[in-house]
Amino acid sequence: MIMRSGQQQLLLPASPVFIWCTLVAALLLNMLPLGRVPWMPDFLALVLLFWSVHQPLKVGIGIAFMFGLAMDVHHTALLGQHAFSYTALSFLASLIQRRLLWFKVPLQALQVLPLLGAAHGMELILRLLSGGVFPGWVVLIAPLAEALLWPLASVLLLVPQLRAPDPDENRPL
Amino acid sequence: MALGTLDRSLPPFFNQGPSAYSKLVFFGALSLFLMVADARFNVTQPVRSAIATVLYPVQWVALQPVHAVRNAAEYVTGLTQAESESAQARRQLALQSLRAGQVEELTQENNRLRRLLGLKEQLTTPVLAAEVLYDAADPYTRKVIIDRGAAQQVEPGAPVLDESGVLGQVTRVHPLVSEVTLVVDRDLAIPVLNVRTGARSVAYGDPSLGGAGMELRFMGSNADVQVGDLLTTSGVDGVYPAGLPVATVSRIEHRAESAFSKIYCVPKALTAGARHVIVVKPLTADVAQRPPAPAAGPASKRGAGK
Repeated sequence: MIMRSGQQQLLLPASPVFIWCTLVAALLLNMLPLGRVPWMPDFLALVLLFWSVHQPLKVGIGIAFMFGLAMDVHHTALLGQHAFSYTALSFLASLIQRRLLWFKVPLQALQVLPLLGAAHGMELILRLLSGGVFPGWVVLIAPLAEALLWPLASVLLLVPQLRAPDPDENRPL
Repeated sequence: MALGTLDRSLPPFFNQGPSAYSKLVFFGALSLFLMVADARFNVTQPVRSAIATVLYPVQWVALQPVHAVRNAAEYVTGLTQAESESAQARRQLALQSLRAGQVEELTQENNRLRRLLGLKEQLTTPVLAAEVLYDAADPYTRKVIIDRGAAQQVEPGAPVLDESGVLGQVTRVHPLVSEVTLVVDRDLAIPVLNVRTGARSVAYGDPSLGGAGMELRFMGSNADVQVGDLLTTSGVDGVYPAGLPVATVSRIEHRAESAFSKIYCVPKALTAGARHVIVVKPLTADVAQRPPAPAAGPASKRGAGK
């Protein structure tokens, strides 16, 4: 149990049920029928990246691939396009996960930006290679928006782990 | 055990499973294989259908909040709008009633003339009403998903119409839903007939101009096309029934360096925001079979000799 610099308290172990619930919730957010919005942030990529960094033993490349296939079928995209980019994203996350959490959250957001950008760039390149039409420069907004959502995800997804380890009547949660 | 947590379970020291590199290579290769199989060989349809069927409940849940908001918005739009819409519908009906009255007589006359000339009877095609579930979020193509699939005998290739014209064509059929490629998609071509001149041509989706238009390709710069011309399906493809409105010509650019002029069209159907659509059974079954190719080459001769 090693505390990182700047960490206030030790976290409770992450519940696998909660991890799966957040992944499915992110999938639902991605599936909201809001029409064709090329700059829409990919919530599922963000949550997958978050858990790949925070719980690398529980969420890895295999799960990322599976959710990527689900996104491909939902988007009616090339089968394997999201799967490829999520696989690469999860792998890149496993490369930086030991280093990343020693930084403060805004600096973490800055460091995940290139990863998310690479994931979107791979999708763009794959689609352009397979004969797609370039959707416009607004696609650049998506990784930026995801990186901006990283602090929010760091708060929301860690809430169950921030509960008190020994609840009493003064601290019921 | 992740750093900075109270997790008491020890991480496995020796049995750590395959390394991250080997997983990356395996899943990366698998997704590349799937992409090639999907784009080049079209063999991934069973995988897609299986995933789509598993995803259907999740999609249904995701659709509910948006449907609820839309229904609530429709509920509070008020009486005045409903009344004005009703009045407009009545006006339209009155305008159509004249033509509708003539249709019976014209159909009868047409049938009689066709019988007289020994032509094949015109066909009435079976249709299926469907509702658009959502616009596909993929920014590279133009597709919508409708709530009818193989369970309702939707066939791949079936034309899809909305209340004002041809919307697109069913390109993939899953057990419960189907994907419809819109006429404004770059990869969809539709044979059309200029109603004013009777000239046949082919209209393609046009990805420029925000991807909301169509283009009439390969029309010579001296071809008789004017702004405002109505294009309807010509029926020569054996897929679309003839005479359905497709688009109107909106702009013509003559180009000095090219023998063709660039002709922009605006689709008649609501390519953004169509809700209720009709799936028509494709006519392919009624098209006469091609004559068998003449046997040629040593292989077929040997095959015929046995």
